[in-house]
Amino acid sequence: MKGHQIQSKIISMEIEVLNAVRQRTLDQFTDGPSVRESRLFFLLLPFFDGKTWSADVESSAKTVSIVYAALHAHDQIREDSPIIKEQQLTVLAGDLYSGIYYQVLVNAKNIAMVQHLASAIIQVSEKKTSFFEDEIRPIEEIEEAITIIETELLMSFYTFYGYTEYAPIAEQALLYIRYTDELKRLQSKNYTLFLRELNANLVHEIYTEHWLLEKLDSLHGQILASIADCSLDYELAQFLLHQITPHQHRAEQLTREG
Amino acid sequence: MEKMKLKLLYSDLRPELEMIEKELEQAVDSKSLLLNDASLHLLQAGGKRIRPVFVLLAGKFGDYDIDVMKRVAVPLELIHMASLVHDDVIDDSEIRRGQPTVKAQWNNSVAMYTGDFILARALERITEIESPRVHEILSKTLIEVCRGEIIQIKDKYKLDQNLRDYFRRIKRKTALLISSSCELGALVSGTDEKTAAHLRRFGYFIGMSFQIIDDILDFTSTDEELGKPAGSDFIQGNITLPILCARKDPEIYAMLKENLNKELSTEERLRIVETIRKSSAIEEAKAMSERYLEKALRELTFLPKGRAVKTMRKIAFFIGKRNF
Repeated sequence: MKGHQIQSKIISMEIEVLNAVRQRTLDQFTDGPSVRESRLFFLLLPFFDGKTWSADVESSAKTVSIVYAALHAHDQIREDSPIIKEQQLTVLAGDLYSGIYYQVLVNAKNIAMVQHLASAIIQVSEKKTSFFEDEIRPIEEIEEAITIIETELLMSFYTFYGYTEYAPIAEQALLYIRYTDELKRLQSKNYTLFLRELNANLVHEIYTEHWLLEKLDSLHGQILASIADCSLDYELAQFLLHQITPHQHRAEQLTREG
Repeated sequence: MEKMKLKLLYSDLRPELEMIEKELEQAVDSKSLLLNDASLHLLQAGGKRIRPVFVLLAGKFGDYDIDVMKRVAVPLELIHMASLVHDDVIDDSEIRRGQPTVKAQWNNSVAMYTGDFILARALERITEIESPRVHEILSKTLIEVCRGEIIQIKDKYKLDQNLRDYFRRIKRKTALLISSSCELGALVSGTDEKTAAHLRRFGYFIGMSFQIIDDILDFTSTDEELGKPAGSDFIQGNITLPILCARKDPEIYAMLKENLNKELSTEERLRIVETIRKSSAIEEAKAMSERYLEKALRELTFLPKGRAVKTMRKIAFFIGKRNF
């Protein structure tokens, strides 16, 4: 599949998701739903790679995106904001998107997927809350929490439809994107809960930076290996690499033979 | 005290409700200690459990099997709980049912994730029911309830809104979930469509009456009785039926307009509460609640006579006359 076809499919899916959750008041007062291209890409990866794909699967992929938007809306709620319309409506946006994901799957008569996604949301909520626990935990547990937060919804989609062969590459790539973002935040001293916990665990933020850089290096190597394992075609592999490093060209690390 | 009285009205259902209470506790069980604590905190703050009660009562008109009924009753209460914990973030509420809210006890983020967790548990449980109709009704209800709340926020501080806006809002905010509780209880117990429709309408009318009374009590109760400052609706910019009725008086209208969306001292707040209380607005609002109550009671006359109808009638009367 050509790069422009991949891009066009992602855009069309994005429009579908936005149309499904559109609400006039929310459009007016909130940032609107967050639909990340990288997530859409990994949801559509089996389709791009030529796997069996039906309207039912497409509808489920769309709902996973809606759930990501719902949970993302609730991540935006701040502690220090006064009661302002934007914050109030952002709470309700998340709730509305949750109702919409349920309804889309009900209309597609896919109740089993509702259950599957609900279980994933439970795990994601548990891991998000874990950053507010007072206990110091091993770094592996922090990593596990971030992995579940970033990938569990997608994994539940892959498991449900038997696309698990893409699980390793998607997990590595989504973590790569997350750690890249965290590194930027660390460098600009814009600490997230994850960074605060890493800093506490690793004693000094210089070690946190090292840890993140090492993770990124290691994940990059794993991603290249996974691309070869999945035998993704050249254009698809290029597109995938562009998702994780949109501002860099890594083509030199990938030949047409993979 | 009043909650106790209400619970006495459905004492016939006590064993089933105890079972549901245990199921609710199990449903919010989590690997995360914090989520567990937050959910239990919310659960143990109590509540009237009016939605499960209506599910169970509606089930009495069909083939009543508690193991089936609880699969609907528990998720509906969970959905209600999830919306409460998020509402407290929206309203920045520190106290609910005399207890600190989840957001006050922990923080906004924990409240958000607790709500998401509880809603997901509700959906996980309700999917044990295979009937597509059940899911159609419930998913539509969830969406409409959110839309109602979105409209409520959009309409805040708009003193010149009309009555139709108010009724449309409370329908979505409160009446729909109660109406769905009755309809879903009827559906899963296999009642005929006509009975299910009467029960749905009963739930709708009783839900409307319930919300109007709630809005009246915000002005007629004391801070202590409410567990929050009287007149909170007005302070938060929620234009409720007593305000809509009272604004017909030009003097009151001017006073409301002047104080809307303004930081009020306790004295100023109590003065507004007192003005509304003394106006004819409370009686007018009560009359409208009464009309919904009558409609609810009329729906019961179409149902087969029996203990369930009796209990529903008692609950309806209680809701109409309650003072808490």
